[in-house]
Amino acid sequence: MLTGQVLLDRIQKNVGVPWQSQRSDGFSDGILHGSADTAVTGIVTTFTPTLEVLRGAVASRKNTIICREAPFYSRGERAPLFWRNSPAPPKEMTDNDPVCRAKQDFITQNNLVIIRLVENWDARRSDGQLRGLVRALSWEKFHVPAKSLDEYDPRNVYFQLRKNSLGRLAQDLQTKLKIHGVRVIGDAVSSVSNVALTHGLLLVADSERMLREQGLDVVIAGDAVEWEAVPYFADLVTAGKVKGLILIGQQASEEPGGGEMAAWLKSFISEVPIEWVPAGEPFWVLS
Amino acid sequence: MNQTPLSRRRFCQLASSGLLLGPSLMRGQSSPTRLTAREVVERIRKNVGVPWRTPTADEFKIGDPDAPITGITTTFMSTLDLLERSAAAGNNFVITHEPTFWSAADVVSDLRDDSLYRHKVNFIEKHKMVVWRFHDHWHARRPSDGIFAGWNRAMGWEDYRVKSDNPFSIQYVIPETSFEELARDMQKKLKLRSMRLVGDPKLRVSRVGNGGHYILQCMPQLPKVDVLLVFEGREWEAPEYIRDAIAAGEKKALIQLPHQGGEEAGMDECARWLQAFVSEVPIKFIPSGDPFWIPI
Repeated sequence: MLTGQVLLDRIQKNVGVPWQSQRSDGFSDGILHGSADTAVTGIVTTFTPTLEVLRGAVASRKNTIICREAPFYSRGERAPLFWRNSPAPPKEMTDNDPVCRAKQDFITQNNLVIIRLVENWDARRSDGQLRGLVRALSWEKFHVPAKSLDEYDPRNVYFQLRKNSLGRLAQDLQTKLKIHGVRVIGDAVSSVSNVALTHGLLLVADSERMLREQGLDVVIAGDAVEWEAVPYFADLVTAGKVKGLILIGQQASEEPGGGEMAAWLKSFISEVPIEWVPAGEPFWVLS
Repeated sequence: MNQTPLSRRRFCQLASSGLLLGPSLMRGQSSPTRLTAREVVERIRKNVGVPWRTPTADEFKIGDPDAPITGITTTFMSTLDLLERSAAAGNNFVITHEPTFWSAADVVSDLRDDSLYRHKVNFIEKHKMVVWRFHDHWHARRPSDGIFAGWNRAMGWEDYRVKSDNPFSIQYVIPETSFEELARDMQKKLKLRSMRLVGDPKLRVSRVGNGGHYILQCMPQLPKVDVLLVFEGREWEAPEYIRDAIAAGEKKALIQLPHQGGEEAGMDECARWLQAFVSEVPIKFIPSGDPFWIPI
């Protein structure tokens, strides 16, 4: 029988990297909620297990969710990392919070199993998150990967696009990813072609590494800290060193990887249905 | 302007002697006290109304604190663009709420080989600028947090504030409006370009609460308000929390502002506050502005 534990064992066997499961702070990969003995009826992969995603999973008779973000609005860190994030709310706070209670009740009543799979998935030689994003954008033909590395090695972030303005490029991302809250630094009319495409939170150290590539015009990422990489890019633009930064949101940047993960899971799990269910963008913006 | 105006006679003398080279030199010549940045900070410490704490981020980040200053710029963030505008305005002392070198503690040891870091340092040195951060103690200012005093004024919400002793639980009751109208009003008053919203645009709202940056502040606040304001927060915190609250049937909404949207007006307040005890040099609030724009 495919239980939560059997599923996790099979993921560990197939992930292709030594399993890392001991973070000093915050959540580790593995079962976050539910029992390891629960029989898996179906699997949903998603960026974040929103209440809507969980309802959809139950409606399609799937009780196991594999996700990047945890269900209760925290990565479990006990202290803020460089003040970027919140410390995890204490149990007495989440126990008394009506939103957390509603979600916890739904998880318990429906016997759901919620599995976090982030560090080990990201440690693979081929970056499924990057590949998913490239496919979502249909940018395969513009990819300029270092031949010595796997095509989707996490360092293979460079793309040579047809010349476009920064504003048009940002609009193209909005259209292709069906999102609204795309935040841009830089002059909309700047001409851009050489792009670094990344996912998740962009740090200054990542940016310095990417900028070693000559002629880089713009970096695309999920999110960035507004006293770290955000002013770093504002200053780069002022100094004339790059044309801009485009932040598409954590969800938009990480979600297509869920599709890659579902396809990968299907290669070694055949007993139950597996479906990628995007959580969708949380935001709208004023027009 | 607090600068002593030059008499026409003195102006002619300076011009003919070749000393009138630019606004900064003019101020240096006209200031008999040769005020330094360190002296300004000493006065701030005396006036802020709370004992000075250590450790604190409120320190000199670059420049010579004992050199004479030509003018003071207060701002949310000492970006390169802001420094250029401050220099052009003739103010070589920048009081910034947020970091200069892209980390909470302005750690520069890792930046020695970074060409942008060198570019920024060169600009600051060339223009003999001094940068001091005013964060912890401006928030701690008595009788009220200087940042939120400025924000309340910018929004015109001073009278809507619900009395509370908890600085992390700021609430307002505003005249009832729709969520969308509230967002539009806030976008205009705070000069924002990158506000992001969660919730029904038509939701009728009146109780608004500050959720700070963190889910830890948002959770206790949500039951008391219709709309939560977050001034930069990670996307896996408040936006997902409010999205679930709405899915669970609650009538709630979120305005996710850029960090600047929550705090920049507080540095306008800072300029006004400084003018009460610094009169030797001009003092000007120069906004660093919303760093983003959103294509629509």
